[in-house]
Amino acid sequence: MSASPRPDAGPKLDGTAVFGMDLDAPGMLWAALVPSPVAHGRLRSVDLAPARALEGVVAVGAADLPTLLPGVGDPDRPLFPTDTVSYRGQPVAAVAAPTRELARQAARAVRVDVEPLPVVSDVEDVFPEWPGPAADASPHVEAHVRARDGDVEAVFRTAETVVRETYRTSSIHQVALEPHACLANVTDGIWHVRTSTQTPFGAREDIASLLGVPEPSVVVEGTWVGGGFGGKGSALLEPYALLLAKATGRPVKLALGYREEFQLGRTTLPSVIRMETAVTGGRVVARRVRLLLDVGNSLPGRDFATGYSIGFLLGPYRAPTFEVEGYAVRTNKPPFGPHRAPFAPQCVFVLESHLDHVAREAGLDPEAFRAAHLWKEGDRTPLGQSVGPFGLASAFERARALASRWRAEAGPDRGVGIAVGFWSTNSGAGGEARLRLAPSGVTVVQGEREIGSGSVIAGVAAVAARCTGLSRELVRVAYEDTARAPFDSGVFGSRTTAAIGRAVQEASCALFGELRKRLEAPGLVHLALADGEVVVRSEHRQRPVRELLTEAERAAGGIEASGRHFGKGGTIDERKVEVGTFYPYTDFTGAAHVAEVSVDRGTGTVRVVRYAAFHDVGTLIDPATASAQVEGGVVMGLGTALTEEALWSDDGRLLNAGLLDYRIPTLGSVPPIEVTFLEGFAGAGPFGAKGLGEPPIIPVPAAVALAVREATGAHVTELPLSSERVARALKLL
Amino acid sequence: MRHPLRLLVNGERRALEDVPDSERLLDTVRWRLGLKGTKEGCRSGECGACTLLVDGVSTLSCLTLAHEVDGASLTTIEGVARDPVGRTVQDAFARAGALQCGYCTPGFVLALVGLLKERGRTAPTEELLADLSGNLCRCTGYLAIARAVAALPREDP
Amino acid sequence: MATSFELVTPDSVEAAVAELAAGVPGEVVVLAGGTDLIFDLEGARTGPRRVVSLRRLPWRTLDWNGSVLTVGSTLPLRALEQDPEVARRHPGLLEAVRAVGGVPLRHRATLGGNLGRAAPASDLLPILLALDAEVDLVGPNGERSLPVDRFLLGSRRTAITPGELIRSVRLPEPRPSAYLWQRVRPEHDISQIAVAAARSPSDGRWRVAVGGIPPRAVRLPEAEALLVSAAAPGRALHVAAEQAAERLPIAADRRASEEYRRHLVATLLERAVESVAARPDGVR
Repeated sequence: MSASPRPDAGPKLDGTAVFGMDLDAPGMLWAALVPSPVAHGRLRSVDLAPARALEGVVAVGAADLPTLLPGVGDPDRPLFPTDTVSYRGQPVAAVAAPTRELARQAARAVRVDVEPLPVVSDVEDVFPEWPGPAADASPHVEAHVRARDGDVEAVFRTAETVVRETYRTSSIHQVALEPHACLANVTDGIWHVRTSTQTPFGAREDIASLLGVPEPSVVVEGTWVGGGFGGKGSALLEPYALLLAKATGRPVKLALGYREEFQLGRTTLPSVIRMETAVTGGRVVARRVRLLLDVGNSLPGRDFATGYSIGFLLGPYRAPTFEVEGYAVRTNKPPFGPHRAPFAPQCVFVLESHLDHVAREAGLDPEAFRAAHLWKEGDRTPLGQSVGPFGLASAFERARALASRWRAEAGPDRGVGIAVGFWSTNSGAGGEARLRLAPSGVTVVQGEREIGSGSVIAGVAAVAARCTGLSRELVRVAYEDTARAPFDSGVFGSRTTAAIGRAVQEASCALFGELRKRLEAPGLVHLALADGEVVVRSEHRQRPVRELLTEAERAAGGIEASGRHFGKGGTIDERKVEVGTFYPYTDFTGAAHVAEVSVDRGTGTVRVVRYAAFHDVGTLIDPATASAQVEGGVVMGLGTALTEEALWSDDGRLLNAGLLDYRIPTLGSVPPIEVTFLEGFAGAGPFGAKGLGEPPIIPVPAAVALAVREATGAHVTELPLSSERVARALKLL
Repeated sequence: MRHPLRLLVNGERRALEDVPDSERLLDTVRWRLGLKGTKEGCRSGECGACTLLVDGVSTLSCLTLAHEVDGASLTTIEGVARDPVGRTVQDAFARAGALQCGYCTPGFVLALVGLLKERGRTAPTEELLADLSGNLCRCTGYLAIARAVAALPREDP
Repeated sequence: MATSFELVTPDSVEAAVAELAAGVPGEVVVLAGGTDLIFDLEGARTGPRRVVSLRRLPWRTLDWNGSVLTVGSTLPLRALEQDPEVARRHPGLLEAVRAVGGVPLRHRATLGGNLGRAAPASDLLPILLALDAEVDLVGPNGERSLPVDRFLLGSRRTAITPGELIRSVRLPEPRPSAYLWQRVRPEHDISQIAVAAARSPSDGRWRVAVGGIPPRAVRLPEAEALLVSAAAPGRALHVAAEQAAERLPIAADRRASEEYRRHLVATLLERAVESVAARPDGVR
């Protein structure tokens, strides 16, 4: 598949790549967090004395913050709570010690006195019935959104068929193999931290805000990252490590153990979703969607999930009359955080399963029914955005053709399902990049780490190669820390190649403008390789880059040009919004997946036998990394579909923290996956590219569920499709 | 209690003093020997990121006490290229794009080298893949790793 | 510190027995492969004072004496797994061994360690019961042997007495056997329910055992009695399986509900017996 290895393959294969977990410094101390022992309680006291009594141990708590920090920090997000603890494991103090063992022992020695309060462990504890008008006053409601067009009830009354269902989805974890880890050092007023992060600049902003220090005094240097998937998208450990570095005057290493990764992880939490759809004459005439989303100990104003994710319970289907309402409900769990395509796979599972069910109840062919309602370019979304170039309908047709062939070949107890999903290439706030042209080639100077997907090391390199006309071997992507690199929002939201790529395009225009001036050429110039070095050519002249550099540029390594890209989204029709904030899409990326499953009718066990993914990518920038993203995303989706489920007790304890009881897919459970890219429906990225980091996970649970339904008739309304749930749906129990 | 520990590590003799009896081999390799290529993942034998070879046999270093392998010959990712089988595996992974974030990669390479030594180079791909089930990967979806295994040369170099 | 201990590595059986006999139970523990012990010690608040390693003892052995197989207690499971005679004569044992973790883990995990730690969900205990395995012990008072069924007392409790060590596990005769399990994912997982079945060629009788239900893996004598005439599939086998499942003291846990586990016992039992019946000399 890949003609030449990825540029990062070398250090990752020879053991020299340094990840956050590997960080080391002379004189380093190890840190540990002191966790709250209960999920909800009134904090009476935190006694650090027993920890401080251990030799070499330094302990800090809420009382020490005024001495250690110049400012006040964020009053909404204190580093250590002073009166109430809101989730199990919430840090109430932190310790540093000469060894990791001693740090753990010291953390355990701290006496935390908490008066337990009733634990809210579930959204249905708060709202056993759908919330009424008084709900907005509840302290448990973190966000409330509602939008509508038309009178859903009136249409329901006169429709031929109305189908109402309730679905439940589970909490899942990112499960990056590398736990969170960082190494902090505070010297001469600079709060410096090396860390495994997806967002160096985002982490810098968070750290500055949490510590109450000015942003320029914080320097974040990203290491190689052993997986992020959304879990390393904001500062988690860094503020504590920095605090201890300040307190001790030494470098401080803070790394989580794997159980702690699960317990402290910020990720997708459970939901209850009610779907109601009315059909007349084979067409959807009205839809109502209700979402109760558990957001854990999320802070006011920080919800992004409800207003964004709820769109995936409506689109990509047209509905003339609709009503959509969502509540983000606070419970005593860690805060909701982004997982790959946050909460979208769950929404798509619900939407596709529901529409499939609706069609069957109305006596219609489920796939033809869905195809008839899919958005096309120029359609309006429910919130009034115009759908841009969108390859979903084509992808769906390709998927249907393949599914027919697979069905014809399938034996008993087998079923084939198709699911579609869409995504939007996130912009973030935007990004900057610099291009540095030297005699040996071009370097993209930027502030994102390669976290694994290849979007930086390969994707951005591919864009730079296309822009400059140089071959890939002459393009390098360099990473610089937040003090030296140009700003970028982070590696998340499938935005990286698009955002930095756009910035590279801008930089490239600026570069060529400058080269034209230096060559004194009136027309176009381009770059080429001649006699082993890069030259600038116009119609009548050619000069090596070497000769065009100033003294200063020679010393700095080349000519630099800068480019900036500002994120922009579409706009929605605010008249349809009654409550809260909804988020527009920047572009429309489609995906259609086909799953063939085999179901063991005795035990309910589902095995995915083969899989195909059709992706609307705009323009394919780097085929090798694109295929890798699809394969990886599909398999991650299979985990969400079949085996992954974080189990919470009534007292807010995570019961299956750890890889033994939280099951991610293994090598033996992976089916062959056919990947097909559809180009031509342009997106927001350079050359019309669309982001591909997240779309591959989105349709997977739905495709598997629909295949199971086709194989057995079992209609499962919960995720994951464990063998027990399928057994129940098969009425085996 | 602490005791001296003698190891042959990637062909080099190493003598360590005062190694606690309770120390895991994973920590000895990473923090005393400074070889960070062997990764710490779950620390409970579930993920395989800590896999290295002890006397040519693949072993989970997080579940092995350092003193249990006193006197043994260790091979870590830093030394795997000393062996033609190791280089072949590294090469196959690079060509197949069988890595993304790279965190599981050393564990997979060592596990596979161990299998090739144990089963021989002609072991069928399906069996090799079945025997790699103890190594987890979250990024690649395993298919590129399977392609790397399938592409391994089956004769002597 | 809580999790620090002294490691001793005796170089003879006598020395090992003496170490254990001299220690306070709970403060002195045995280390075979360590895959269960060290897993437990990771992050634990308290631990043993002394760990006695068996690595120098001459128990990494696998011996066939006619049809009797004696497995040394510190033989790595991988060696057992790779023995072609084991595959041929004890197919159920091979299936069970392959169910334990992954290959690197099986390079250290041992049969003796697994038996000694007696975890309720151990994949090796049901098949040992179905094969009428015997445990050979050596201790300060000499040697003795016990059937595995009498050796296992409960969850993490065995009949071993202070100072005793498991020297070997003996399988008296090759039997067509099968080991089936139900898990959340196909490999590298703990079983929700597992069933081992074997049929003795010498007395024609069935042995069936269930694992994954605390406190310990158990034989199902009533099902075995009903199976006497039920070598072929059909109602009798189905009824036997369901009745056996009904009678078991099964509770729900986070891996599965009670009804589902009962259903699995019945289903897997039927399948395991069918599988054995279809094997050579399984009589079909």
